[in-house]
Amino acid sequence: MLVAALAVSVGVFARRTRLLAALVRMGRPVARTDHVATRVRNEAVIVLAQRKLFQRLAPGLMHAFIFWGFLVLFPTIVHAMGALIDPDFALPVIGGTRWFALVVDVFATLVAVGVGLAFFIRKLVRPKRFEGSHLREADFILLAILGIVATLLLWNADRIALGLNEAPAAWSPVANLLSGLFGRGSEATERALVWAHVLIILGFLTYIPHSKHLHIVTAAINVFFGKTGPRGRLEPLRIDLEAPEEEIRFGAATVSDLTWKEVVDLYSCTECGRCQDACPASFTGKALSPKLLIMDLRDHLFEEGPNVLSARAGGEDHESPPLVPTAVTDEVVWDCVTCGACVRECPVSIEHIDHIVDLRRNLVMAESRFPQEAGALLRNLESSSNPWGQPQAQRAAWADGLEVRVLEPGESAPEYLFWVGCAASFDDRARNGARALVRLLNSAGIDFAILGPRELCTGDPARRMGHEYLFQTLAEQNVETLDGAGVRKIVASCPHCFNTLANEYPDYGGRFEVVHHTELLARLVRDGRLAPPRVDGRSVTYHDPCYLGRHNGIYDEPRSLVPSSVEMPRHGERSFCCGAGGARMWMEERVGRQIADVRVEEAADTGADTLAVACPYCMIMLDDGTKSVGKDLDVKDVAQLMAESLE
Amino acid sequence: MARRLTDEIEAVALGPGATEAAPALGGHGARTVHASDDRQFEDHPGAPAAHVVARLLEEHRPNLVLFSTSYASRDVAGRLQALTGSTLMANASAVLGPDHARGEILGGTKIVEVELRGPDPKLVSVRPKAIAAEPSGGTATVAPVRVDLPDELRRLRVVERHQEEAAGPKLEGAKVVIAGGRGLQDPANFAMLDDLARAIGDAAVGASRAAVDAGWVPYSYQIGQTGKTVKPEVYIGVGISGALQHAVGMKQAKRIIAINKDPDAPIFGLADIGVVGDLFEVVPALTEEIRRRKGS
Repeated sequence: MLVAALAVSVGVFARRTRLLAALVRMGRPVARTDHVATRVRNEAVIVLAQRKLFQRLAPGLMHAFIFWGFLVLFPTIVHAMGALIDPDFALPVIGGTRWFALVVDVFATLVAVGVGLAFFIRKLVRPKRFEGSHLREADFILLAILGIVATLLLWNADRIALGLNEAPAAWSPVANLLSGLFGRGSEATERALVWAHVLIILGFLTYIPHSKHLHIVTAAINVFFGKTGPRGRLEPLRIDLEAPEEEIRFGAATVSDLTWKEVVDLYSCTECGRCQDACPASFTGKALSPKLLIMDLRDHLFEEGPNVLSARAGGEDHESPPLVPTAVTDEVVWDCVTCGACVRECPVSIEHIDHIVDLRRNLVMAESRFPQEAGALLRNLESSSNPWGQPQAQRAAWADGLEVRVLEPGESAPEYLFWVGCAASFDDRARNGARALVRLLNSAGIDFAILGPRELCTGDPARRMGHEYLFQTLAEQNVETLDGAGVRKIVASCPHCFNTLANEYPDYGGRFEVVHHTELLARLVRDGRLAPPRVDGRSVTYHDPCYLGRHNGIYDEPRSLVPSSVEMPRHGERSFCCGAGGARMWMEERVGRQIADVRVEEAADTGADTLAVACPYCMIMLDDGTKSVGKDLDVKDVAQLMAESLE
Repeated sequence: MARRLTDEIEAVALGPGATEAAPALGGHGARTVHASDDRQFEDHPGAPAAHVVARLLEEHRPNLVLFSTSYASRDVAGRLQALTGSTLMANASAVLGPDHARGEILGGTKIVEVELRGPDPKLVSVRPKAIAAEPSGGTATVAPVRVDLPDELRRLRVVERHQEEAAGPKLEGAKVVIAGGRGLQDPANFAMLDDLARAIGDAAVGASRAAVDAGWVPYSYQIGQTGKTVKPEVYIGVGISGALQHAVGMKQAKRIIAINKDPDAPIFGLADIGVVGDLFEVVPALTEEIRRRKGS
């Protein structure tokens, strides 16, 4: 009977696994096998040490108890199966040792406590992050887990009552306590319990790959193949113009356009909702929830993927319905600010932004479908090389009256090239930040120049909107200009430019040492070339820009420039977006509250009178926000605050 | 346009007024007009018309069906695509042949020619005003359309029709544009701008994004990067700081007048005439002076 049960269970498991593996193989290629050392480290930190889960204490403990418990309890499965055949079966080496008896007893109990904690969280605390998740499925899984450890503990208890225990009973304190239930013990009950234990495990084994609990297998794989470099870098779209027309793909149109990593992403989601909790779009009442995005894509994958596979096996073409709007609505795709809060939060390394951008690439490049008002952005980038369609000849006008060298064609670059960016070149508020930075650089004696009219938009908004072709055109032109001038070091004041120059231009041959202005200023202060900052009479709170903080890990340098700033509840890695990323700056925010307004209120609630920023987008959005919610907050770039203390 | 492709053109007109429209259709090239004045086409949008047209397609087997780009027509086109499994191209700017059309993508920056594959009939919706209607001087016979609708097609029902009244000239075409911003402090104060617009005559009222985001006026008022671009003879900015987002939508005005109490507002950098002052004094005074000089 054991053999039959084992065969059925393993058979069902294997059949499903074959489908899952085939769907992964169907995925488009993506390079995720480099940096093995980093990947192993991620595995240790994120999976074994449960680092991301422990960001929330109670759910972290809950999960760790169950996870570690099952890692440790693997040998007991073998033990129980052996005991079905021979009641005196003992595991080699560890079987019968006192320490193993103790470990089994303690960890089985911890798992049970973890399940209790999980039910407490789900049934009594009821956090909002579970909205939209499959709650009954979760209950069933938790009960199965409880069933496994309960039968294990009771089986051991009955064996103690029968005197069958291999190690002294005192080394299994919980089972020993429970053995009182069995009186002298009963062999029939002992058999029933071990059978129950094994059958629940085998049943669970068949259930796992059909459920969201699949993550116990795929999460570790997904973490291993997660991004190793800066989070802000998007995968370049390689447009192969030699390929037959019908094979050319711009991003993800249908299910077979997902990359294999994206498919494993979909397998790994347990619907925990940490992403939904952190998402500015979800928070302000918009259609996008990163969790539902992944769930909807997953459901579609399981519905449509097998059709694609069977058609391919028969050598036929299968036309799948489009992912948008079949699985995901247009609105969801355009709500995303690419702030990366979901990606950072996800305990199993799902990379939501890649999904969003791949969907956008198809909508924009293949279908020309995007929020109508964003058309001006693309047209302006094409015709004027900046998002606002301003004359490029006016690009250096912001620096009038300041000592700034504009690098002419043919001249070679000084130590630093100051990459100004479009916002600081043309927007009045952002210009103030650039002007302050120039004063600071001059005062520290830094030899720098700007490109002036030869500086084009880096292409960040086009790329995040999905217009990869336009991005690549701008990137190639900028790399050519920079290389032509012999630029080696760049200081950028806009984190979006910074991210693109530092992390994405290498894919287009541009290799520069890029620093953000807050990094350079912090270094100059440290080296004694600039006076340490004073913010007399101001009470400051610092807002982390997504593309400086989360996407590039720069948190301390800007903070070192605004001493004694009070932190907002959401800061550092958990900062809350201003609403401008992902080309949202050039789209209307029609549904729910404005993201910027919510952030301004959070800043005002700290009691600060000054909101320090380190990004021109944040400057524009949050300054607008102060007016819209009527808060008297002075929004200033960190460089402006520093320059004030120069005077 | 259809006449350039073939002589065999038939038209379909459904809903109240269909028969009346037949002569006009005939005068522009249709030989037969399949018409029905049945109210049901108006009361139940989409499905009934698609059902009837699908039957007509079965009976007459055309190669190509053209749709206007009205909401109702687009609704029917989409449903027909699903019913017939044929190919639908939306928003064509020209139809080059029974299976070739031209369209614009990327906000009109690229023109593409599209080949329509799949079974006949090809379905093409034509963008408004892309093609001029040319009279043919012909007449059409009216073929009454049999209307037999299964009940389930009547489940969707029009409950109410509402038409938003647009007062005054449209923003894009107006000679004078008066734009209000957050400086107006209250949505009710837009009435002050309406008053000024009436005094001037050919003038329209617009707004900055801040005023639209605050919910003071509808999005159709918005001037700027993500709203409308205006190029009037005179632009008057009232209580508008002139952030780049707004400026890119109005800087092509021939004359720019700015009224703002903040002398450092960036809009003064663009303005030909700048008034630093309280708009609640300046605007009524301006309106009164214009009325006085016009003698009205």
